[in-house]
Amino acid sequence: MRAPPGRPLRMAYLAASIAGVAFFAMSVALLGIWPGRVLERQIRAMSPDRPLGLTVSEERGRTIYSREGCAYCHTQQVRYVHADVMRFGAPTLAWETRFDFPHLWGTRRIGPDLARAGSVRSDDWHYAHLFAPRSIVADSVMPSYAWQFDGAPGRPKQGARDLVAYLQSLGRAREIAGPEGEARAHERCDCPNDAMSQMAFASPINASPARTRTGSDVPALPNEVDERRGRILYAKNCSSCHGPDGRGDGPGAESLLTAPSDLSAHEYTTARVADALWNGVAGTAMQAWRDHSLGDLASMARVVQRFHTGQDATVPEDLVALGERVYAAHCVQCHGQDGGGNGSAAAELTIAPTNFRIQRPTLSQSLRAVREGVRGTRMASWTARLTEPEIVAVAAYVRRFFDAEGGR
Amino acid sequence: MMSDAAAVPKVETGLVYAHGLAALAALFISVAFGILASIQLLAPEVGAGTPWLGWGRIRYAHTQGIMLGWLGNAFFAFLYHAVPILTGRAVTSVRLGRWLFALWNFAVMAPGWILVLTGVSQPLEWAEFPIGVDAFVIIGLVLAGVQFLPPFFSRGLESLYVSSWYIIGGLIFTLLAYPMGNVLPEMVPGAQGAAFSGLWIHDAVGLFVTPMAVAILYFVIPAASGRPIYSHFLSMLGFWLLFLVYPLNGTHHYVYSVIPMEAQITAVAASAILGVTVILVVFNLLMSLRGVGVFPRDAGLKLVAMSTIFYLIVSIQGALQAQMAINQAVHFSDWVIGHSHLAMLGFATFAAAGGLVHAWQRIPWARYNARALTWSYWLLLVGVVVMVASLTAAGIVEAYLWQSNAPWLESVRAARPFWLVRSLSAIPITAGFIALLVGLTTGPRGAGLDAIDPVIRLDSAGEAASLLKPVREPVGEPA
Repeated sequence: MRAPPGRPLRMAYLAASIAGVAFFAMSVALLGIWPGRVLERQIRAMSPDRPLGLTVSEERGRTIYSREGCAYCHTQQVRYVHADVMRFGAPTLAWETRFDFPHLWGTRRIGPDLARAGSVRSDDWHYAHLFAPRSIVADSVMPSYAWQFDGAPGRPKQGARDLVAYLQSLGRAREIAGPEGEARAHERCDCPNDAMSQMAFASPINASPARTRTGSDVPALPNEVDERRGRILYAKNCSSCHGPDGRGDGPGAESLLTAPSDLSAHEYTTARVADALWNGVAGTAMQAWRDHSLGDLASMARVVQRFHTGQDATVPEDLVALGERVYAAHCVQCHGQDGGGNGSAAAELTIAPTNFRIQRPTLSQSLRAVREGVRGTRMASWTARLTEPEIVAVAAYVRRFFDAEGGR
Repeated sequence: MMSDAAAVPKVETGLVYAHGLAALAALFISVAFGILASIQLLAPEVGAGTPWLGWGRIRYAHTQGIMLGWLGNAFFAFLYHAVPILTGRAVTSVRLGRWLFALWNFAVMAPGWILVLTGVSQPLEWAEFPIGVDAFVIIGLVLAGVQFLPPFFSRGLESLYVSSWYIIGGLIFTLLAYPMGNVLPEMVPGAQGAAFSGLWIHDAVGLFVTPMAVAILYFVIPAASGRPIYSHFLSMLGFWLLFLVYPLNGTHHYVYSVIPMEAQITAVAASAILGVTVILVVFNLLMSLRGVGVFPRDAGLKLVAMSTIFYLIVSIQGALQAQMAINQAVHFSDWVIGHSHLAMLGFATFAAAGGLVHAWQRIPWARYNARALTWSYWLLLVGVVVMVASLTAAGIVEAYLWQSNAPWLESVRAARPFWLVRSLSAIPITAGFIALLVGLTTGPRGAGLDAIDPVIRLDSAGEAASLLKPVREPVGEPA
C-alpha cells in the first residue's frame, strides 16, 4: 500500500479550491460586471439627453409580453451581423435597452426580431393578428391571444391595447432621436471606424421590408411573369385579407379598418399594384412586401390585375357634364384636378386619397364609395349632400381619369 | 476491503425512493408541457383561448420542470445513495431530508409551475420561476449543502474521490450562481442585465447539471462494472479544468451583440477550451468502460455509458457553435434547440436516469424490472437521436434561409416538416419514460439486487466504496 499523499496534496487541493471560487468570481467580474461598466459608460455617452421611456400603458403591455413568453420566439436584439442588419435594421445599441427591466433579448427566433417592430404595422393589423394570427398571416404558427379581446378583434380589452401600445413603442427611442441623435452617438461612441461601427451608424435604423413608406421610388417590375407562381404567392400572402378571389373578403378582412380593397372591383395599372406591394399603403394594414423578389412581385401584381373581369355599365354622355361639375365642387381638394389623388388637402390625410389615373373602380364600387363613404378613411358618405343624379354622375365621372398605359 | 464494507453507513433508502418518485412525476409533467408546446407549433389552435395553456407559459413550465423538478429530484435521490458510500458517513439528518423534500417539491416545484402558468414569471431563460420561488430554491440549495456536504468535509480532502469533488463543487457553485442569474437581471437593465443572464444560462447547465451528471458517471461506472476508473489523475485534472472554464462561457449566448467584444471573445475562447477539456474527461470515462463496452448489460450502467457519449457529442457541438462564424448563422435557430435537448435530454437525463436506476436497484425492498429498463433505454435512445437530428437539420435550413433574401415566413414554412418529426419523436421518448417508470415500479421486490451481475458481485455498498477511492491501491483488484 502506498503512503497517503498527505500535506502537499492537501495544499494543492486548497489552492485549487481557492482558484475555483476565484475563477467563478472572475467570470462574474470579467463577463458581468466589467461589461456592465463599459456599457454604462457607453450609454452615458451615446444616449440622447432625455430618451423617451415607456408610458404606463406600454409598461403594462411589456409585462404581458414578458409573462406570455413572447421573447422566446421573438428576439429584441439586432446583432452586428449582415443578415440581421439587412432584415431588421441597425444593430441594437446599449442605450436603446436602458429601460429594459429585465432585458427581453431572447435566444430563439421563430418569428422575426421585434427590436424595431414599432410603426411597421398598423394597430388594426396587430389587433387582428393577436386575435387570430392565421386570419391575417396564413402560415403563421403564433398562438392566438383572443382572450385579451371581448369576442372580436375590433373589441380589444385593455390587455390587448397595452400590448399593441408596447409593440408600437419598440425601436421608437432611437427613431425619434433622429439624425442628430445618431450623429451624436457616433461622435461620442469612441469607436474605431471599422465594419461594426459602419453597421451601427450607416444602416437604416428600421429595415423592415414590411414597413410602409411614402414617396419612395418603386423599381420597375419585370415584364416576364409566372402567373402560376403568382397565384401560389397570392394564396400564401394576400388571400387572408383580400380573399381567394380578390373580393376583399378574406378571414382577416372583417376587423381591418380600412377594409382590404376589393381587388376585383378595380382596374389597376401595373405601376399602381407595384407601388402598393413595394411601399405598402401607409395608414392601413396593407404592409409592404419588399422581402419578395421583383419577379415574384410582378407575378403577384399580374394576379391582382386579373381579378377584374367583365364589362361595366355604360353611362349616358349627358351625365358627364354634371359629374364634372360635382367633382370640381366637392372632390378636387383631395382627389386633385385630374383625379391624381394629389389635391391641395391630400398631403394632410393619413391615408392617401385614391388616384383615379392609375386605379379605376367599377361603377358599382364607385357608387358604393360615394354613397357609403370608405370606412376608416376621410371619404365620407355623400348621400346627404348630393342628389341621386349627382351621385351617379360623379361616380361615373371619376372613372374617366384612368390611363391604363400611364404611370409606368 | 472488509473494513471498507463495515465503514459504509446505512443509505436512507426512503429518501432515495421519495426523490426518485418525485423526479419521475416531475418528468412526466415537464415532458407533457414539452410535447404540448411542440404540437402547438404544428397546430397553433391547440390550447388556444386558454391563457394558462399559452405556448410561452408552458415553455417556461417545461424547462424549469426539467431542470429543477426532474433533474433536481433525481440528483438528490442519487446523492442520498452516493454520499454515504463516498464518505463512509451518513447524511446529516433524515428529518432535514424530509424538509428538503417537502420544500423542493411543495415550495418550489408546485407553486413555481402554478405561478408561471397563471402568468407570474420572469422572462429569463432557465430562471422563469418568479423571485418569490427563487428564494425557496436558494433555501433548498442551502439545506442540500447542510445535508450532503458535512460528510465530505469530515474526511480529509486527499481521500476524496472525483465524484465527491463534483458534488461539492456543484452544490457550492450553484448556490453562488443562482442569485446572479435569477435576481441580478431584474435589477440591471437591458444589455447589462443580458450579460448576467448569459452567464447564468451557461452556469445552470455547467455548474448545476453537469457536475451532478458527471458525478453520477464517475460513480456508476466503477460501482456497476466492478473496475476502478482509468485514471484518477485525469479525473481530477478534468474536474478542475471544467470548474475553471465553465463559468467563463456564458457570453457566448450573445455573440455579435453590443456586449463588449472582449467579453464575447473571452467566452468564445473559453468555449473552445471547454470542448477540449470535455474530450479529456470523456476519454477517461470511456477508458473506464473498457471491458464492459458502450452497451453494457446492467441497466443503470447502460444509461450512463450512453450519457458519456452524448456528453462528448454535445460538448464538441457546443464548442463549435460558439465560434463566431458558425454562431452568426445557426444562433436563434432550431439547431440550438437540438443542442439543448442533446444536453438535457441526452447527456443529463441519461445520467440522471442511470444514477436513479443504479441507486434504486440497490434498495432491498424496491421493485425492479430489468426488461422494462432495457426497453426504456432503447426507446429513449431512438427518440433523442430522431429529435436532435430533426432539430439540427431544421436549424441548418433556417440558418440558410435567414442568410438569403427569402421572406421570413419561408423559414417557418420550411421548419414545419422537421417540427413534425420532432413531435413524432415524443412517441418513443414518452414510451421510454413510461418504461422507466414501469422498470422501477413493477417486478418483484428486491429484484434489483438479484439483477446485479454475479461475476462482478458488487452487491454490498462497501465493495462499491472500495472502488470509489481517489488512489488505486495496487492490491485492491477484486478477485
